[in-house]
Amino acid sequence: MTAVTHLLRLDVNGSTVDVAAPAHWTLLEVLRYRLALTGSKQGCDKGDCGACTVLFDGKARLACITLAADAVGHRVTTIEGLVTPAGLDVLQRTFDEAGALQCGFCQPGMIVAARACLDRKPDATRAEIKEALASNLCRCTGYTKIFEAVEQAVRAGKAAHVGGPASLLPSGDATPAPASGAAR
Amino acid sequence: MLRLEPFAFARPGSVDEAVALLAKHGRAARLIAGGTDVMPNLKHGLYEPEVVIGLSAVAELRGIALEGGGAAANGSDGELVIGAMTTLAEVESHPLVLARAPGLAQAARSVAGPTQRTMGTLGGNVCLDTRCVWINQSHFWRKSLGYCLKKDGTVCHVVQGGKSCVAAASNDTATLLCALGATLVIRSARGVRAVAIRDFYKPDGAMNQRLEPDELLTQIRVPAPRRSSGASWSGYAKLRARNSIDFPKLSIAVAWTTDRVGAIDDATLVVSAIAAVPRVIAGIADLARGGRADDPALIARLGEQARKVTIPLTNIDGDTGWRRAMVPVFVKRAFAAARMATTG
Amino acid sequence: MSSSHGSGKPPADRADPLQHARSPNRTFGPQPPGEQFEVIGKRLRKVDGAGKATGEALYTDDLALPGMLHGKTLRSPHPHARIKRIDTTKAEALAGVFGVVTGAEMPARFGVIPWTPDETALCIDKVRFIGDPVAAVAAVDEETATRALDLIEVDYEQLPALFDPAEALARKDVLVHEGNKHGNITKEVLLEFGDPDGALAKSDFVVEDDYFFHGTAHAPIETHVALARYGSDGVLTLWSATQIPHYVHRELAKVLDLPAPQIRVIQPCLGGAFGGKSDPFSLEFCAAKLAMKTRRPVKFLYTREEEFYAHRGRHPMAMRFKTGLSKDGRITAVDSKILIDGGAYSSFGLVTTYYSGQLLTGPHQIPNYRFHSTRVFTNKPPCGPKRGHGSVQPRFALEVQLDRLAEKAGLDPIEVRRRNFQGAYTTTVNGQRVTSNGFDQCLDVVEKASGWKERRGKLGRGRGLGVAGSMYISGTNYCIYPNDMPQAGIQIKVDRSGLVTVFSGASDIGQGSNSVAAYIVAEELGMRVEDVRVVAADSDLCPVDLGAYSSRITFMVGNAAVHAARKLRKQVQAAVAQEWGIEPERVVLAGGFAFDKDDRGKAITSAKAFQITEAVLETLGSTGSYNTPNLGGDYRGGTIGASPAYSFTACVAEVEVDEETGIVTVPHVWTAHDCGRALAPVLVEGQIEGSAYMGFGEVFLEHHDVNRYGLHARPNLLDYTIPTSVDCPEFHASYVESLDPEGPYGAKEAGEGPLHPTIPAIANAIHDACGIWLTKLPFTPAKVVAALQARDAARAAGGGANGTANGRAH
Repeated sequence: MTAVTHLLRLDVNGSTVDVAAPAHWTLLEVLRYRLALTGSKQGCDKGDCGACTVLFDGKARLACITLAADAVGHRVTTIEGLVTPAGLDVLQRTFDEAGALQCGFCQPGMIVAARACLDRKPDATRAEIKEALASNLCRCTGYTKIFEAVEQAVRAGKAAHVGGPASLLPSGDATPAPASGAAR
Repeated sequence: MLRLEPFAFARPGSVDEAVALLAKHGRAARLIAGGTDVMPNLKHGLYEPEVVIGLSAVAELRGIALEGGGAAANGSDGELVIGAMTTLAEVESHPLVLARAPGLAQAARSVAGPTQRTMGTLGGNVCLDTRCVWINQSHFWRKSLGYCLKKDGTVCHVVQGGKSCVAAASNDTATLLCALGATLVIRSARGVRAVAIRDFYKPDGAMNQRLEPDELLTQIRVPAPRRSSGASWSGYAKLRARNSIDFPKLSIAVAWTTDRVGAIDDATLVVSAIAAVPRVIAGIADLARGGRADDPALIARLGEQARKVTIPLTNIDGDTGWRRAMVPVFVKRAFAAARMATTG
Repeated sequence: MSSSHGSGKPPADRADPLQHARSPNRTFGPQPPGEQFEVIGKRLRKVDGAGKATGEALYTDDLALPGMLHGKTLRSPHPHARIKRIDTTKAEALAGVFGVVTGAEMPARFGVIPWTPDETALCIDKVRFIGDPVAAVAAVDEETATRALDLIEVDYEQLPALFDPAEALARKDVLVHEGNKHGNITKEVLLEFGDPDGALAKSDFVVEDDYFFHGTAHAPIETHVALARYGSDGVLTLWSATQIPHYVHRELAKVLDLPAPQIRVIQPCLGGAFGGKSDPFSLEFCAAKLAMKTRRPVKFLYTREEEFYAHRGRHPMAMRFKTGLSKDGRITAVDSKILIDGGAYSSFGLVTTYYSGQLLTGPHQIPNYRFHSTRVFTNKPPCGPKRGHGSVQPRFALEVQLDRLAEKAGLDPIEVRRRNFQGAYTTTVNGQRVTSNGFDQCLDVVEKASGWKERRGKLGRGRGLGVAGSMYISGTNYCIYPNDMPQAGIQIKVDRSGLVTVFSGASDIGQGSNSVAAYIVAEELGMRVEDVRVVAADSDLCPVDLGAYSSRITFMVGNAAVHAARKLRKQVQAAVAQEWGIEPERVVLAGGFAFDKDDRGKAITSAKAFQITEAVLETLGSTGSYNTPNLGGDYRGGTIGASPAYSFTACVAEVEVDEETGIVTVPHVWTAHDCGRALAPVLVEGQIEGSAYMGFGEVFLEHHDVNRYGLHARPNLLDYTIPTSVDCPEFHASYVESLDPEGPYGAKEAGEGPLHPTIPAIANAIHDACGIWLTKLPFTPAKVVAALQARDAARAAGGGANGTANGRAH
């Protein structure tokens, strides 16, 4: 059948945007190819990898298996939306600091999923972090430095909470693991 | 990118609107709840709807509550009612579910990964399409194969010469809901009906649900434990390749009640991810009655009873002999999971 | 994270390591250019990290050009068939279709290895696997292009298909490639060093058994994507997710019959590769050809399924290994016979066949050695290079056999590897020059980190520890096409503002090669890293680099960067010294300043120093390059696997075997890797962790194969199960710095070597845990259960503890 095009009023990264899109287009297609928000990535085509993860009213959602028309009425936040005039999201900084970014392709989705996790649980433990990121595949890192990056953000959040601005240790001062390498 | 074929999209704001749309479009429509199953299937061309009806704006389909009880302060005598559009993430962590049907929380928590559960709904999981290694692939792939019984073809690649589709029920929560004897409430423009979930599924992998094209699942109702019971228990165990994302290679749910001295007075064991229907294993209550759920010998007998009648096929990836051998192991684990999260 | 300085120092009798290196190029040794390292070895952020974290980084599919069309590829539904007729008329007539292309329009054969060009951009006479590309369409959008594919009529005459490599070897009546000289054999190598038969006959212990390594895929999260524009100036520009832009450039010229200067190849930010993007692929030619035909930009984005068909993943290998050991624990000989399943095309197969034998001769001293490897064509997606190309498979077999022999000899597995350590500055039995070698240190690190001595044997039922070791190349001196030019080059431009731009041909595929180039240039010029910008992988702007493969970039491009920057450094020092009236040696360049070593208050910014230099010299710039010394054994194929330096790895894995289910969990993997100097420790750790992860996935979860119809059994990321965050072990990465005389500041590779020992270490740990030897990958729970049952049956029959899994025991 021929495509039906809707005029969609979307709330993306705090802005209201009107966009004409075929009814069968996914949110990911609209974000990437209509709104030029190319930070959200396409990896698997069908919800298996998490590279397209965005926030939907603050909760993680797979944009590649969400119809754009179904996003109407929800607050959509993409990786680009985590950057504010005040600067980068603490997770964007800690992912960079911790060396969690290799090819970087899974990371917009990963960072967004981590943001949803910390919004729900600012003091998430390593086990909770692992569980929260279990819909996001990374092929480069073995996840090790991703976990460390989220843990750094948790620590930064705690530091901010007890007073004073969130201070981020430069990478050179990141807590080293014991030389024995045991039980990190 | 793998793109969808064109369709129109409708987004009703109420159940009445939704069933009116279904009445109008019938077989040309496809409902979409969380989208985690329907959307990949659409991308693979398994459905060719003219209209997709998105249910995300139907607020009345969401929520978890107790109904019909009230005598006991903890609500233990009420019926647990879950709206079909309640997300699996809500089900897995909701206090009422944890208190009344901890096995359901376990089953919900074992579906896919965390993001899929934030999107996916309990109703969507109950209505999950059957799965098979020969069907859940792209149109190109299935066409190269010459298609199969479930869609567009006339042959079965699992059972040589098979005439009926053996794609497997792969919905974690359905197994548990069958064990609990849940009831489904189904609406259409024609009215409302309730059906026991054990009667909802039929042995046809091509379409394993007794749901008319104009019907909408609105509620999942979990009955109160019988008043004579001392306690009720439910647990779930899932065999899968990875600890996240994957569908079950074996899905096992148990539910039982104990009398006032802790002896089992009723028990149900359900095995799924084998064939089109979650299988309620016959004879379990008789075997279990009077026994204790922490008796390894009893659990082993129940597991063996389930293993005997479970014949895995190659519809799901993984060695069939091994999957069968795992039945008693996962029966044991389902009992253990239930006892880890006991109810009052 | 620990580092220790290994046994990398040359022995006293070889005081000048460069003399040993026989390098025709200048290399500069392991020492810092100034008083101490200011940038190198520090835990720095990547130059492109922030852009990746914010979504700003542009990958190929993030690019869009005005008027851009979208391409789609029609693929063969048959595993083996002759194409009788292709009719594209109806597709061309579809509204929205701008162009259709078939193989006849691009008949030139190509292949990444110039000796085996057996691919065409689209199939012409025959299709050889399900998914082989047949025709391509450019249309106004992807949906229209997809619909047009359905309108292309292709008549096929189906042919018998070969899925089993043993059958492919035997059959002479069914040929995947007609005209191939040796039936379905794509390459056969038999090399013998010493007297393996004699040595085995005299060995105290001999183990001979069969191993199988299954096919696995790279599965980068970004699929293949290419965008082409044919400008009115006659220049064809291709943006592609490739890790070999230079070879793509060469093959484009050949296939499109365009002069190479008219082609520009750009590799944008790349979303993972792991060897899977190191061939030229159909979409690159089709995008280019259709851009030329339609005069509109054309983009092809492969679906995940297409990415699995493009493949080039790890070759399945059926391996018979025979290894001997003396009573005192010395390896006497290794003899292997390997059948390699190549899939439908040659790809890198010539090299794979050599690598399956050539890279096994360290870090253990093997005095007598033979390998006989045969690669055959089958009607399956073509195999190629995956991380640890060619040597991951035989390494698995050899390291498991070493443990089997250790058990027979009653020796600790780590001790056996220590006794056979070949040492630094030696030559392997197959004539490979080994320089620095910190493998003994690596063993020490993982032994200590894992608590091997205290914990092994005391972990309780079903738990165990296993060890393995390995070596890998830091680039190879076998250039894919013969030439005498450098293998790597760097150009540096200096701006008066104090900005330095580094032009590098290297492909940053996530490993961080752009960052390493920036760190090196900043180190040499005493600059802040923020003031160094890297422009990379653009054939119009950057010097040629051969690509991101063979673990060559840090070593080769790193050396080229030192070379280029060192020249500039000397110029700046000389000019500033002249300005200040002091000796050039007194001018220190560090931290964004130039200052007088003897009068530290006398300082100017880097920018000022550059201005002074430009004033006395001329417009500033510099080039540097690197070429390998002459290396390798003096025999046919002796240069394949010859590397200017080898990296070494030791790994200990801890496992828990659930004997009820056969499910094995791996709580910890400790990996210690000798990477020479760790130029960028965070990146080195990331490579070690990522390698160990990838090996772990191959052991249990990942399996690329075809079903009985020849269809890829799992061409998506749901069925092809790569590990999630809740499946992975804790990866403990350590590195050992055996400073290499030839590497940049002593560095060697870190990207591929650390994968190798993960797999046999897990296999050996499973034996330690429950007494079974698993020899056929992947280790599915069903196989584990079967092996445990065999073990129990053997025990019941009084046969002792050695049940053997899914294979014969000898």
